[in-house]
Amino acid sequence: MYSLIENEVTKMIAKKRLMFVLAILVILISVFAYGQNRTLARTKAQLTQRMGITATTDWHKLAEQQLIDMKGRLDSPYMDAKSQSSLTVKMQQLQYDLDNNINPLDQSAAKFTATFMEQSIFLFLPLLIVILAADMVSGESSSGTIKLLLVRNIPRWKILLSKYLALIILEVVVIFCAFLLSALISGFFFGFGGWMAPVATGFRVLAGKLDASGVFNVPEWQFSLMVYSLAFFVAVVVGSISFMISVLVKSTAASIGIILATLIAGNFISFFLSDWTLTHYLFMVNLRLTDYLSGAVQPVDGMNMLFSVTVLIVWALVSTIVSFVYFTKKDILV
Amino acid sequence: MLKKTIWYSVFTVAIAGIVVLAGGFYQALKVTTESSPYQPAKVIMAQTSGSSTEAELKNTNSLQLLILGDSIAKGTGDEKGKGFSTDLPQAIKTDTPKDILVTDAGINGLESQGLLAQLQNGSLNKPLAGANFILISIGGNDLRTILSLNPQAQEDEFKIKQDSYLSNLKQVLTILRSSNPNAYIVFLGLYNPYEKTTTEEEVSLWQEWNYNTEQLIESNPKAICIPSDDLMKFNLGKYLAPDGLHPNSAGYLALSDRIRKSLGGVIAGM
Repeated sequence: MYSLIENEVTKMIAKKRLMFVLAILVILISVFAYGQNRTLARTKAQLTQRMGITATTDWHKLAEQQLIDMKGRLDSPYMDAKSQSSLTVKMQQLQYDLDNNINPLDQSAAKFTATFMEQSIFLFLPLLIVILAADMVSGESSSGTIKLLLVRNIPRWKILLSKYLALIILEVVVIFCAFLLSALISGFFFGFGGWMAPVATGFRVLAGKLDASGVFNVPEWQFSLMVYSLAFFVAVVVGSISFMISVLVKSTAASIGIILATLIAGNFISFFLSDWTLTHYLFMVNLRLTDYLSGAVQPVDGMNMLFSVTVLIVWALVSTIVSFVYFTKKDILV
Repeated sequence: MLKKTIWYSVFTVAIAGIVVLAGGFYQALKVTTESSPYQPAKVIMAQTSGSSTEAELKNTNSLQLLILGDSIAKGTGDEKGKGFSTDLPQAIKTDTPKDILVTDAGINGLESQGLLAQLQNGSLNKPLAGANFILISIGGNDLRTILSLNPQAQEDEFKIKQDSYLSNLKQVLTILRSSNPNAYIVFLGLYNPYEKTTTEEEVSLWQEWNYNTEQLIESNPKAICIPSDDLMKFNLGKYLAPDGLHPNSAGYLALSDRIRKSLGGVIAGM
């Protein structure tokens, strides 16, 4: 089994698919980091124009003032309990910036790394995984090499399992490289620090509303870890589904086409049909797991972290079962 | 050989990665579903003098001041953390031997709709009934929302905003008067913190706003509208906080002093 997996991984690397995916990552991260850099400069210029040069360069005074104001608001007996925790979290963040002399406007490699994956998790990351997964089986069918695999005296399920595990290994590699590359490349633009800065998390969706009463700060490295872990989960789910399609369809092009169309359609559906409950059970609609973490979620009644994770797990399980049943039963005529 | 090395490094990364990512995934689930594992830093509820009003509601040796409205009522921008709730009693104190009890119910970002709701829910009934003076600062947040619009939309939106603002303010005054017919109401007019960037049209809209407010307030015999714009216009550098919107400590002192002068006649008689 071990040597089978080794064989599959080596094959994927030899086929240059992984290199291709990593090259896309390098190019896109560089472009994004450069874009972020430009946006930052423009925002600062606008602020300077509106509020005077002091707002961007001499931000200490402004931050201290904001801290005093927030403290005053916290002390007010007319402050409702709900907004207290989000205010406390904001104060902690501002205090951290002040203590460590970080301009709150500035970007850091840590912030960028987390944001990059938050933005990639619903479309870009799935695309990369599809590139890897979509021809794992169908590629063998179309090139005819599947014969060579099956004539060896190994049960079919073992062959498929080794392919599936190889895919999971490659998914870890992609996530790992995405993290490493975005931390490194953005570091050249924004400096390599920021990993200890506090980030707010702990939002919950209760009865279709975003509840910020339990909000607290975690350091940026921990936040990024959670973001990339969710991204890995999404990668496994999308990987399983494209793996299934790759088993069902013989042509690689068709298998990539099907899964891409599904992903892109999913983004439209979540946009247009958000009040149609049935769409909540589509996997494409549930990919934005990191939004639950950062509180960026558009609250939809009945959808929360547990719901989305459960839906995705069911999709992954069903796809895997279908792949295995179909692959062991089907007649292979090449 | 190279293939072997690549395979071993990939395998190690994968195993270590899966362990770490599983941990992170568990954390992420915990954070978003369980009740917060870390309690937010304990919030200390400072007892303002507001709570003492209850006991001394009918105390004839004291004057009661109720401050209502937005961030300016709250004292936002004062680097010493004082604002009207400290500065105004101190200013008035020079005219009267009596104690001055303050209830500051200002809330940052409050619009006229919010002020009306705050009064309607009844939480302020007690300080309201006992107040000798009521200071109101409201409307700035209503008006500020139209700044980002283009000139055409600005004019339409201004009419809508102003209508709802004036009707809210009218109801606020009715509530104030029905629960306390004798208090002196002091309304603080709006100043323009964006002196440098406002267009001529915006200035005229904002003047219209102030004028209509003044008409409404002054129609009430025991109410006064005190402009702040004439005090601030040429002194923005001196009186404005670093956030470019609220008054700073000197600004609040200057405004308090002005209010004290306006009220001088009635305070002496109390």
